[in-house]
Amino acid sequence: MPTLTVDDIKVEVPDGTTILQAARQAGSKVPSLCYLEDVQTIGACRVCLVEVQGAKALVASCAAPVAEGMVVKTNSTLARKGRQTVVELLLSEHDGNCQTCARSADCELRTLARDLGIDEIRYEGERTTKSIDDSTPALVRDSGKCIMCRRCVTVCNETQGVGALFPQGRGFTTVIGPAFASDLSDVTCVQCGQCAAVCPVGAITERDQIDTVWAALDDPDKHVIVQTAPAIRAALGEGFDFEPGTVVTGKMVSALRRLGFDGVFDTNFAADLTIIEEGTELLTRLKAALVDGRDVALPMFTSCSPGWINYMEHYNPDFLPNLSSCKSPQQMFGAVAKSYYAEQLGKRPEDIFVVSVMPCTAKKFEAQRPEMVHDGVPDVDVVLTTRELVRMIKQAGIDFASLPDDTQDKPLGLSTGAADIFANTGGVMEAALRTVYEIVTGKPFPFENLHVAPIAGLEGVKEASVLIEGTVPEWSFLEGVTVKVAVAHTLGNAQKVIDAVKSGEKQLHFIEVMTCPGGCIGGGGQPRLTTNAVREARIAAIYAEDEGRELRKSHENPAVVELYSKYLGDANGDKAHHLLHTDYAEKERV
Amino acid sequence: MEQFRSHVLVCTGGGCIASGALAVSAAFTEELQKQGLTDEVQVVETGCLGPCAVGPVALVYPDGVFYQNIKVPDVAEIVEEHLLKGRVVPRLVSHAPGTEKTVAEMRDVEFFNRQVKIVLRNSGLIDPLRIEDYVARDGYAALVKALTEMTPEQIVDEVLASGLRGRGGAGFPTGLKWRFAQQQSSDVKYILCNADEGDPGAFMDRSVLEGDPHSVIEGMAVGAYAIGAHQGYVYVRAEYPLAVERLQYAIDQAREYGLLGDDIAGSGFAFDLEIRMGSGAFVCGEETALMTSIEGNRGEPRPRPPFPAVKGLWDKPSVLNNVETYANINPIILKGAEWFAATGTEKSKGTKVFALGGNITHAGLVEVPIGMQLGEIINEIGGGVPGDKALKAVQLGGPSGGCVPYWHLDTPVDYESLQELGAIMGSGGLVIMDEDSCMVDMARFFLEFTQDESCGKCPPCRVGTKRMLEIVERICNGQGEEGDIERLQELGRMISQTALCGLGQTAPNPVLSMIRHFRHEWEAHIRDKHCEAGVCATMFKARCTNACPADVDVPGFVSLVGEKRFDEALRLHRERNPLASICGRVCFHPCESKCQRAGLDAPVAIRGVKRFMTEQETDILLPEVVLDEANAARKVAVVGSGPAGLSCAYFLARLGYKPTIFEAASTPGGMLVQAIPAYRLPREELGREISMIEKMGVTIECNKALGRDFTLQGLRDQGYEAVFLGVGAPQGSNIGVPGEDGEGVTEALSFLKTYNVDGTVAVGKRVAVIGGGNSAIDAARTALRLGARQVTILYRRTRAQMPAWAEEIDAAEEERIILQPLVAPVEIKHDAQGKLLGVICRPMTLGDYDSSGRRRPVAGRNADFLVECDQVIAAIGQWLDSESLFDGVSVETSRKGWLATDKNGRTSVDWIFAGGDAVTGPSSVVAAIGAGEKAAVAIDEKLTGANHAFWRRDVEVDTAFDPDADPVETPRAGVPVVAANVRVGGFDEVELSWAAETAVAEARRCLRCDYGKDRCAETEVNR
Repeated sequence: MPTLTVDDIKVEVPDGTTILQAARQAGSKVPSLCYLEDVQTIGACRVCLVEVQGAKALVASCAAPVAEGMVVKTNSTLARKGRQTVVELLLSEHDGNCQTCARSADCELRTLARDLGIDEIRYEGERTTKSIDDSTPALVRDSGKCIMCRRCVTVCNETQGVGALFPQGRGFTTVIGPAFASDLSDVTCVQCGQCAAVCPVGAITERDQIDTVWAALDDPDKHVIVQTAPAIRAALGEGFDFEPGTVVTGKMVSALRRLGFDGVFDTNFAADLTIIEEGTELLTRLKAALVDGRDVALPMFTSCSPGWINYMEHYNPDFLPNLSSCKSPQQMFGAVAKSYYAEQLGKRPEDIFVVSVMPCTAKKFEAQRPEMVHDGVPDVDVVLTTRELVRMIKQAGIDFASLPDDTQDKPLGLSTGAADIFANTGGVMEAALRTVYEIVTGKPFPFENLHVAPIAGLEGVKEASVLIEGTVPEWSFLEGVTVKVAVAHTLGNAQKVIDAVKSGEKQLHFIEVMTCPGGCIGGGGQPRLTTNAVREARIAAIYAEDEGRELRKSHENPAVVELYSKYLGDANGDKAHHLLHTDYAEKERV
Repeated sequence: MEQFRSHVLVCTGGGCIASGALAVSAAFTEELQKQGLTDEVQVVETGCLGPCAVGPVALVYPDGVFYQNIKVPDVAEIVEEHLLKGRVVPRLVSHAPGTEKTVAEMRDVEFFNRQVKIVLRNSGLIDPLRIEDYVARDGYAALVKALTEMTPEQIVDEVLASGLRGRGGAGFPTGLKWRFAQQQSSDVKYILCNADEGDPGAFMDRSVLEGDPHSVIEGMAVGAYAIGAHQGYVYVRAEYPLAVERLQYAIDQAREYGLLGDDIAGSGFAFDLEIRMGSGAFVCGEETALMTSIEGNRGEPRPRPPFPAVKGLWDKPSVLNNVETYANINPIILKGAEWFAATGTEKSKGTKVFALGGNITHAGLVEVPIGMQLGEIINEIGGGVPGDKALKAVQLGGPSGGCVPYWHLDTPVDYESLQELGAIMGSGGLVIMDEDSCMVDMARFFLEFTQDESCGKCPPCRVGTKRMLEIVERICNGQGEEGDIERLQELGRMISQTALCGLGQTAPNPVLSMIRHFRHEWEAHIRDKHCEAGVCATMFKARCTNACPADVDVPGFVSLVGEKRFDEALRLHRERNPLASICGRVCFHPCESKCQRAGLDAPVAIRGVKRFMTEQETDILLPEVVLDEANAARKVAVVGSGPAGLSCAYFLARLGYKPTIFEAASTPGGMLVQAIPAYRLPREELGREISMIEKMGVTIECNKALGRDFTLQGLRDQGYEAVFLGVGAPQGSNIGVPGEDGEGVTEALSFLKTYNVDGTVAVGKRVAVIGGGNSAIDAARTALRLGARQVTILYRRTRAQMPAWAEEIDAAEEERIILQPLVAPVEIKHDAQGKLLGVICRPMTLGDYDSSGRRRPVAGRNADFLVECDQVIAAIGQWLDSESLFDGVSVETSRKGWLATDKNGRTSVDWIFAGGDAVTGPSSVVAAIGAGEKAAVAIDEKLTGANHAFWRRDVEVDTAFDPDADPVETPRAGVPVVAANVRVGGFDEVELSWAAETAVAEARRCLRCDYGKDRCAETEVNR
């Protein structure tokens, strides 16, 4: 436990603490930029510089470990001037059209400049070359705004193991981007948007599709409905200055209605549907393996997360059969909306315009995949991220904070607590187990408060085993079987699980993968900046939402039950398969 | 073993290979076979010997004879003469500096005999591909000693005690680094060698790897044992294929001999070594970036701490040293710390290898004891700056380092002394810059390099150096602004404080040090848009014009002469310089020293062309004069009718003024007539141009001396609105030795003036002239012409250091004037009757470098001696007695007593202007002319409130020029002179006229650097 002095205050900190952490502990709010707690400490941006007695130059506090007896000045003239110079230099290369930038409201560079008291840029000169990469459906990169903090590089390479973005070139012509100045669409970008989630400025953002939605809403011939993903309600409020972890479902529904949607529904409905389809698929595979001795692909992976699907297609094509063939809840919702719901309304599928609000940028990609478009009609027409919805509400001049609570329309707005927890890591697995266990045993799910503790939380890879006992006759072949499941979030962690399965180190039946850290609540389309503290707050909110529900198991959702009985027939049956399932193909790895 | 009576060591370092060493080596083998000498003489291909500039080179043993510039056809002669007959081939050996004397043996060659070789102890002497050669010279004995007789602690103690400091540049004590790593507890540690030499012009490490790779392997193995590492990596750039090849070969050999591997020399210690090649990124010289690169990632630095000794390669404790550091280990272990510490300075032990490059005669590789004076490395070992150019500065440490200006050549080359001057020891790149180097441009070059090589990770380096570069580029392009220097300094300091790694932190160093030492050059670029060195090409039309203090359009008048349009040429010349004929004879032609044609063969003889041009003038051509009644009515006085006063009056007259020149002497012309002898400047030429000025409305009143016949206040009272002081530096300085007040002692200026004005002067039979400047030469040659039988010039420095114009010194020698350099007068000896006996002289020798960049003359060991003579003429300096000039008017003067003015001749008194020698101290005629012009413009501006200098506007010269044609192959035309024995008989002009075809052909040699360049009019007016 070294003791050091920060701005004349003595602090004792654990070994391995950085100067930045120690300073913050001492009440000195040292600014930082490239630093991402637990993710990136590379000392690159030089914004967190402090003066350390005896050092020949200023020290990047985020990356420097403390030492016994160290004397640190975070507020010396030299430290302040150093930081100011660094930020001035960043501003001098940055395409700073703040007024028209998507990040104007939450730009970290702009905030820094203001906080550091920069009132002029003394060193004007050439600016970073501007080139716009809007090659993907999900993301737009604007190199002119990039300040090369490398947050995106670290999340893309280390968190996700994708490596679509990295620094190239030297000197002032250094750029961050895909190899050989390619576009994102030319490389194995999975479009998860984690880069956009961590970008401190407007250099990487979601592709803005608000205008398309406005146009649809203005079109009298279109019946425009909206679905909102489970993770939205615990994050949307942050766009209106609510604390992270504030659930704003009711206000969100009111806002969507005011925006003019003809139906305000819930992806949660489709999440419940997914559990029925995916649970049935799992049981079918288990039966085929255990009873028929057929060579089916196990373990089975969830397929809700489109970034994960992209990743598998590029990086693990040999495991594609292991992916559940279920479409994601977003796509299931769209498919049902343009068939069952359309029929109920007496409309043609093309007259229904489905808007999704997702925490995710990869959903934008998913919605336009050829597999998701039938006879020219996509299941989902436009995907907005949480951030876009915030902007849309602001554009409409809606006073979000003062909106009354409202509830979603039926039937596609009905859902259970199991659907809520699709928002966070471990949630899909828990929801599936709640249903599968009860189907197989006919007994109530035996976990306290229905939560499977070992698969909750922000640990990268989590595992649980569920012993099946007292099965109903139909599923008696599972009697005494210990179902082994694993949960991974981030693609880096997912790859670790795959490697362990490949090597035989792990024998598993069912694996949940969510692309983003913390699951969808930490998605690439969520309000910035998502730290672990924010993730935990959002997850807590989601669990609370689940726990407050009357119905908490997907198979208890009456609307879903009715959908099967009135329209789909059997789970995994022909019609269900036609509407709700898909398949995957190997993609080139670049 | 075979015994050979002789060995031919052919250098096959990279430099010599490039100049053909492999073919030379093959030719030796072939020739020896042909002569049947293969059993007697062995050819050995060695590593670098050092003098790359004269490669290919070879050493013949046992004689130790050093051959240079060997071409294949020379080989047969060396074999025949030297190896068969035992006779040195003098044609191919080096010469004592400045002489024709051959120096055959390597130990006598000045390039070698001041060097001390520890690191390069084997390079050039052994075959790098033969481990046996290395072992025969105590190779691997240190490793064996370390493994069998020493503990790791003892090794570290020894290295620590030796005082060895890291040779990569920062100079961190090697032993301390080893100790830190040794103290870390870790199963895995690494020892790393930085061979990623990236400084422009540096090739020390490459040469060691090419010439003696085992010394690095051994050093690393010892280090590995000391810190407990079992794996090492040498990080070397792929651009060094020969180094990589030889190192890999050596590693394989060492493994084969059990000197690398699981059980080294039976000691049980395991260590192995791998080469990792980088793609030549400068930033990979930064240790953390190098490790990141070895790990397989993009070579980018990471923050320190943690330091590599704690957490280095793959997060394991690692020691990184550079090639040269490791090469020092063998002798330290074998001969001991004490032996090593005996070389060097108190704080910096051992030697340092430097790569000499840039404007240096002996470009190559040298190793010297740390603490040697910088001047000695450059001038004695390096042979100084080639040609007639003067040394300006030396860049040490490449783009991370700084420069040392010529006035600090006495600096001992050690870590601390260099740091005090804002330079660094660096890894050993020594780039020598001569007077043609522009320091702003050099700063731009180095900054551009670091900006290009920045990894882009941190903003201070990526953006900050870019912003600095933009500012410097702006300055180079003539768009500098006030405040730029301060901006650069501020930004530079902040970058040093805030950048992530050493590359960024040191990137501003070249700029900061070049501002520190050459601020005046930066200011000239920014304020005057003038690049004195003639490098920043956007600021001038041609280098010759840029070098001319009077800004004469040289390519313009020269090309007009080339088209035989002599009148137009002369008119163009007189646009900026009225005294064309005078300058055609006495100008020191700074234009010629910057002539681009020198790079091809020799400069255009601009002064010769000019002289010929003026000879074609039959009737005096008057320049364009503006008639202006208001100006004509304004009274302006010019004091002094030397070149400054004449020029000022001329340009005032062109603006319509009718100035009056007051001249103290009875004849106008100032120094032109008083000091410059008629054999250099015929009086009728002088008179012609003075009368031209008179014809323009200028009145010259002679015998009117300021302070004697009139006062400044008096002029004011008479209604003079402005006064220009062109009073020169008329007082001769005292020698300051006993006896100088005695009989027979005179002072050069008054001696010359007495003769030139009065027509007669007393001259002795044996005359001693004391001094080395132009006045000394003029006095000596005048005395000779007036009947002295023997004239001796006594000068305290060397002949090469004489400030007089080289052509004049040569002419004096031709006339049998005796030059006696390196003597200082200590007394003017008279006998009891007061009769002059002679000058007692003290023989001098050269001591340390002084602030003039020359070695200071100090008393030698030999006894004083008498130079007998009956007349002593002292020519040791001039000064201005300004106090006698001013009566109640106080004009500020400089520390040395010269009048203080701004660049436009404005003094501290708003109606008094000044220019010429009175302001600058003794200088050139053309500088005085330029100063007169500037003052004339300033006077006009003061009187009218505006700049009317119409002659400064750019005049387009319509001479023909084909830019695609090859330059005409005409050699520079010499100036015909009267034979020495004839000319000493009188004062007729020494130089003779050219024929018209000679002049035209010479003029056509001009490469027309001005072609297509429109000078910025605005810049012109600002000048």
